[in-house]
Amino acid sequence: MKRLKKYINQNEWYLMGIILIYSIIVTTQNSGFFTLENFFDVLKGSSGMIILAMGILVVLLSGGIDLSFTAIAMFGGYSAARLMMATKIDNLAFAFVVSAVIGILLGAVNALIIHKFHLPTMIATLGTSSLFSGIMTTFIGTKTITVGMMPKSLRAFGGFRLFEMVNDAGSTYGLTVFIIPVVIVVVVTWFILYKTMLGRGVIALGNSEEAAKRSGFNLFWIRMFIYTYVGLLAGIMGVIYVAEVNSVYAVALYGTELTYIAAVVIGGAKLTGGEGKILGTLLGVIIVRLLNSTLVFLGLTSSWNGFFTGAVLLFSVGLTSYMSRLRSRRNLTFTD
Amino acid sequence: MITQMKKFIRQDTTLTVLLGLLIFLILLFGSILQDKFFSFDNIQSMGYQIPEFAFLALAMSIAMITGGIDLSVVANANMAGIMAGYVLTGAVFGLNSGMSDLTLVIIAILVALIVATLGGVFNGILIAKFSVPAILATLGTMTFYNGISTAITEGKGVVGFPDNYLSIGTSAPLGIPLVFYIFFIAFAVVAFVMVRTPFGQSIYLYGENRIASLFSGIKNEKMIIKTYALAGFLSGIAAIIMTSRVNSAKYNYGDSYLLQAILVAVLGGINPNGGRGKVTNVIIGILILQILQSAFTLFAFSPYAKRMIFGFMLLLIMVINFIIDKWGARSKSIAKDSEVVPQEAK
Repeated sequence: MKRLKKYINQNEWYLMGIILIYSIIVTTQNSGFFTLENFFDVLKGSSGMIILAMGILVVLLSGGIDLSFTAIAMFGGYSAARLMMATKIDNLAFAFVVSAVIGILLGAVNALIIHKFHLPTMIATLGTSSLFSGIMTTFIGTKTITVGMMPKSLRAFGGFRLFEMVNDAGSTYGLTVFIIPVVIVVVVTWFILYKTMLGRGVIALGNSEEAAKRSGFNLFWIRMFIYTYVGLLAGIMGVIYVAEVNSVYAVALYGTELTYIAAVVIGGAKLTGGEGKILGTLLGVIIVRLLNSTLVFLGLTSSWNGFFTGAVLLFSVGLTSYMSRLRSRRNLTFTD
Repeated sequence: MITQMKKFIRQDTTLTVLLGLLIFLILLFGSILQDKFFSFDNIQSMGYQIPEFAFLALAMSIAMITGGIDLSVVANANMAGIMAGYVLTGAVFGLNSGMSDLTLVIIAILVALIVATLGGVFNGILIAKFSVPAILATLGTMTFYNGISTAITEGKGVVGFPDNYLSIGTSAPLGIPLVFYIFFIAFAVVAFVMVRTPFGQSIYLYGENRIASLFSGIKNEKMIIKTYALAGFLSGIAAIIMTSRVNSAKYNYGDSYLLQAILVAVLGGINPNGGRGKVTNVIIGILILQILQSAFTLFAFSPYAKRMIFGFMLLLIMVINFIIDKWGARSKSIAKDSEVVPQEAK
């Protein structure tokens, strides 16, 4: 129990409680919810979000915020698909390499702008977000890629399952192959954050920039890592997204970045930096995805997505902020 | 003459840069587009378009001066617009309630303003009473207000408003759009409040140093709630103008205005960290953005190209501000050094 306490904090227990109670409510309303098939569905739908969420967690830990990752993801995924169609190179690895390289380059642009000009990260990435999206749509194209045009390797990747089962109605379902990149990304992120000096530097930067500088961290390379890492993950997510939806609208993800950030924040990461955990982030993503994908089981249309996501977000940030407010009032500090 | 100019530039570098940019753009587009740019139609259509998002930019600016931000302005405006729309289309009072159109319009305007102000008050309570960081609180309310709008309309638009409501957005007494008068008066009032009243000054003080503001006896919490209520109220005016111009209300109208509102506030010299910036400079920022918009429309640029240019501009302005600050700091320190040198020579 004590060991468990070390790994799971109070906020994460709350989140697990919410997930459990919500699942019970949905199950009583609709038995179709609590099945392995639905679990696999939710998992597949969450894959891209988990990958992006790991990147967002790294940025939030450093005390920054990135609004450009959806633009980067679309830039990478869409350009890779278009390039494959143009060059007739129908190879999945090629798609990932192209998208990842684009992601890293655009992330480096973010890092350079933020570090060299000391810009607030939110405003800087808001600017680069429109800039990247604008460059892509102006110079690469806006034509929707339909199922028929989609390169075969991407389509196969989107539909590939690690193992398959047959349900009562006779249709097959199974565990998506997306789980492999997801697990790799989560493990790598965990390793970097907790087992390397680089990761400690990210958290140090989030706690106090001045202290991080004085303890000898090279802030330029730390920022370079943070934003190129987000870029890289966005690039990977871009390919997964393209493979998943099978028909790509050029600015599809653009404008949804705040939902992703909301998921990470629900998971307990602080926008002020230095606080946030991988487990919490995963739980946050699960809550947002559950709300988005299971409202139909409660007889509500998808129009209610925003309402419930917003309500959960407000409730969770309201509660945690109020707790820390009470704490600081007791200590007679008035900083928040 | 030169010393006077230097003094003027030193006094308000942002204003100088903005005025320079404004004149440069007018001359540039004027010489390229000539009559098309200076035509009565083009100038009048600018007069229609400016107020629509000017109110959102103004709401954003006020929130940013406190050191916060209000991401919910557009979502709040849409929610208010939809509520007003339900009053106007008779969904609230029924079609045969015997109410004249004029009464309906007045009730609708009140509903829009009240809903939006309440939305702002809710933001303020979250930020002041629960200590939620402004960006998070308004991110949450943005999703939430948008969610309310989507849920009650099921994603459809509310359409078909009475003529005298539409005339708010379309009439132009003396050739100047009515909405432009509203914009002008509202800006004058807000500028006056920010500069000449204790409330306005307390907003600046809070943005500069909230603990100092607390210990100098300002009721921080009440002041923040009032500030975000004001931002909400301004979003409500934006809602009325938007809905009356397009004759409908929908949950996702003006999505692009959020970026533009932040862009204009930063362009107008509002410091995102709070405490600095003038509402009057924001007006020039709005004019610059509108001139660019109109010129791009005349050039027939795609919305994508516009987005690219606006993103680039936001970055450029931030970089220029950074360089000016650095340059200003350096020239000050050089001045100090030169004062010190003679003393050492003694």
